[in-house]
Amino acid sequence: MTGGALTLAQRALSLLDSGEEAQATVTAERSLLLRFGRSRPTQATAVDDLTLEATILRDGHTGSAATNRTDDESLKACVRAAAASAAATAASEDSGPYPGLPSPAAGRPHDGHDARTARLDPAEGGAALAAAFEATAAQGAEAHGVWTAAEVETAIASTAGAAAVDRLTDAYMKVAAITPGGTSGFAAATSVATTGLDPRTIAETAARKATAAAAEPARLPAGEYPVVMEATAVGELLTWLGALAFNGLAHAEERGALAGRLGKRVAAASINLSDSPRYRGTLPRAFDAEGVPKAPLPLIQDGVAHRVVHDTRSAALAGARTTGHALAPGGAPMGPAPTNLVLVGGGAADEAALCAPIERGVYVTRLWYTNPVRPKETLLTGLTRDGTFLIEDGKIAAPLGDLRFTDSVLGILERTQDLSARPVLTSEGEYYGRRFATGVLCPALRTAGVRFNA
Amino acid sequence: MRSLLSEMVVDAGRGRADYVDARHVRSRSERIATRSGRVDRVERTDDEGLGVRVRVGAAWGFAATRMTDRTAAEDALSRALAVAAAQPRSRSSPLASEVPASGRHEATGTTDPFSVPIEDKLAVLSAADTAMRGDPRISVTQAEFLAFAEETTFASSEGALCEQRTTECGGGMTAVATSEAESQVRSYPGSFRGQVMQGGYEHFAGLDLVEQAPRVADEAVALLTAPPCPTERTTLVLDGEQLALQLHESVGHATELDRVLGLEASYAGTSFLSRDDLDSYRYGSPLMNVTADATVAGGLGSFAWDDEGVAGQAVPLVREGVLRGFLSSRESAAEIGLDRSGGCMRAAGFARQPLVRMTNVNLEPGDAGSLDDLIASTERGIYMETNRSWSIDSRRLHFQFATEVGREIRDGRLGRLVRNPTYAGVTPEFWAALDAICSAPEWRLWSVLNCGKGEPGQAIHASHGTAPARFRDVQVGVA
Repeated sequence: MTGGALTLAQRALSLLDSGEEAQATVTAERSLLLRFGRSRPTQATAVDDLTLEATILRDGHTGSAATNRTDDESLKACVRAAAASAAATAASEDSGPYPGLPSPAAGRPHDGHDARTARLDPAEGGAALAAAFEATAAQGAEAHGVWTAAEVETAIASTAGAAAVDRLTDAYMKVAAITPGGTSGFAAATSVATTGLDPRTIAETAARKATAAAAEPARLPAGEYPVVMEATAVGELLTWLGALAFNGLAHAEERGALAGRLGKRVAAASINLSDSPRYRGTLPRAFDAEGVPKAPLPLIQDGVAHRVVHDTRSAALAGARTTGHALAPGGAPMGPAPTNLVLVGGGAADEAALCAPIERGVYVTRLWYTNPVRPKETLLTGLTRDGTFLIEDGKIAAPLGDLRFTDSVLGILERTQDLSARPVLTSEGEYYGRRFATGVLCPALRTAGVRFNA
Repeated sequence: MRSLLSEMVVDAGRGRADYVDARHVRSRSERIATRSGRVDRVERTDDEGLGVRVRVGAAWGFAATRMTDRTAAEDALSRALAVAAAQPRSRSSPLASEVPASGRHEATGTTDPFSVPIEDKLAVLSAADTAMRGDPRISVTQAEFLAFAEETTFASSEGALCEQRTTECGGGMTAVATSEAESQVRSYPGSFRGQVMQGGYEHFAGLDLVEQAPRVADEAVALLTAPPCPTERTTLVLDGEQLALQLHESVGHATELDRVLGLEASYAGTSFLSRDDLDSYRYGSPLMNVTADATVAGGLGSFAWDDEGVAGQAVPLVREGVLRGFLSSRESAAEIGLDRSGGCMRAAGFARQPLVRMTNVNLEPGDAGSLDDLIASTERGIYMETNRSWSIDSRRLHFQFATEVGREIRDGRLGRLVRNPTYAGVTPEFWAALDAICSAPEWRLWSVLNCGKGEPGQAIHASHGTAPARFRDVQVGVA
């Protein structure tokens, strides 16, 4: 599809009735994902697919249709379906809330594409698995995880004049190492290029943690403890914060966690969080799903809530301007969200330095099955996983079993005491539907308290 | 398409792979939604493509392409073979034997939901949305219609060739009430996109959204000022919808054999169960009978053949509280010495390879009568309804759930509302505390549209049959 996505989008637009206002979006994915469990390959998936989505506007309403078929008849059917949807909507009520397609603007170039990665060489993935199996076996553990790479090309054409193309690659590898005794450790890496992944080091790190956890576990009563969280855990909390606090639609509907709190202190003064689509080390992106160029946006500055993100629809509702955070043309059902969160690092050299001041606390590698309990409070529950340790007298003292926490993300950030100096790109590597790789660039942190309830 | 697939898999099976299967899938969907009194979304999708899966030694390779001609199919086959060949070698094991699937199956209901005019669906949604609005404390209202259709042709190098066509339809609605400190939500007939069943438009039409809308909104507003859920150990009565998710998380996922064998550890997790627990592990009370039933009418996990051509079955998982079965595939069944796969391999569309998934994991009804009868026989406790939040550990043992609404039970009657109800427990202890299940007339299927598993991610649709049930000495008010 390389180079053809925009042509296809423009072909779809050419099938519109004259005077119609519309956007055509083409997302073409080529990806390869190799899974493994118990140090053996389990599944391997190569995908070559695209989605053409036609979004048509009528009197403030949108109707859309999508297909992956690109013959003339299928394109016509797709456009007809979108038009019928828009017409039915417009006929059902007075003018709708969608203010119209954004004016075209040029997105800035980025370095988010790697030609070697785009080749999707299965041998490179196979070698990564072999290295992981060998490295974990050397420490008496088995490897579980994925190696994956992809090239995604997105093109947007609109009757407002948009004609934009973004080509991205992404690569991700994770290893959960598990010992015969059932203890586990985790490590992962995310990058624009497969050369940014070091399979052996990832596996060795995970295996080291798994074997360290094999000692006699300590027991910790329920309660609030100081915590050091590795970047992977911090990234998951910040991803939730993106949805619960910075979603401009939820904010405008007063469901958001920052409703009435913009301009107020919501986190420790050391917390500086932004959405920065071209920050060094992130997965860059040129424009959002409505073709609006991505630009840096401060969200929390020195602990003070600064902004929420908008797409065209939520901006209209809030009386604001889009910030370039649409996840779907016309606005995704759940609203807009930041896709390139960056949390600025602090003064601690590393996780060990973060542990040093703690008399008795918990070290967390990774979180699992987090879900909001009370969204407006950013109250989440979830568990720790793959490397939870007791900190005593400033050092890792003993492994702990998985712990359940129930606490608010903003509360954890409010109680943050220090951050490690070097942010790393974290990702869950989850891609449901069409591939849309995102990550959070963040450091590890120490917080004075997290509430563990089991 | 039948001839393309069957010729290709037979040709490919001649010396290039130990096993080959191919699926052609066409998937269509329609989503119509209102939000806060306005039409929010009218979307349609129509996709198709081929997925080719090969097994060379122990290594699987899978390649998917949106193109459906012979050249594209052969390219996908070559890619699948290359991917399989590139992986490290490991010990090969046989697949459980299966009579090659043959035939055609349709489950499409009475009225094709895609043929009903959009205007008709919008009229129902708009009326329901409007009926939820009025109180200024209602900040968001949503009503939604959903329809899905899938046509699958499957062929394998063992001679399978079958076709299936299914339609699913349903919807739901939600009201959100907010105050300065609180945000409360009520949904009907269930949370997270409502209630969907295999069948036609008649299912959506029978949901009675408009009639239920005022009650939904009233309860959302009432929750804003309701007292919080107390923190205590008490008797818990769950409605069918929350019990369906409890079953899904603590029985369905726990009995997936790939998890039990440790092959899903890095993402979905493992299981507290082991292969040696079969026929001996006490899962819960003697009232607990759970079946994975791919044959029940209307279930989102109902089919004639799974996505590796194994016939749909009713697999006993728990009988009188004892573990009696697993959800399995041909590969995992063979690994623990079962004669046959349980027929649980399902894929989300053409571009994903099948995984061990739930079909319709159902808790059989009991003899406690109606929900009113169950409440009447409960002296003190809390009744919880409609899931709001869920979390369970990676072994499916320690869980915590929140529901939208709770009600005190006092002297056999439902009392005042409580807000932010939660409960937590440990899977076998919780199921051991089951002491009453409502009778068959209260039993119904509840849909789950967002069951995630696999990498790349696959969200599949499943159903769970439940009737309201009672559990003793449960910790509530945990968050």
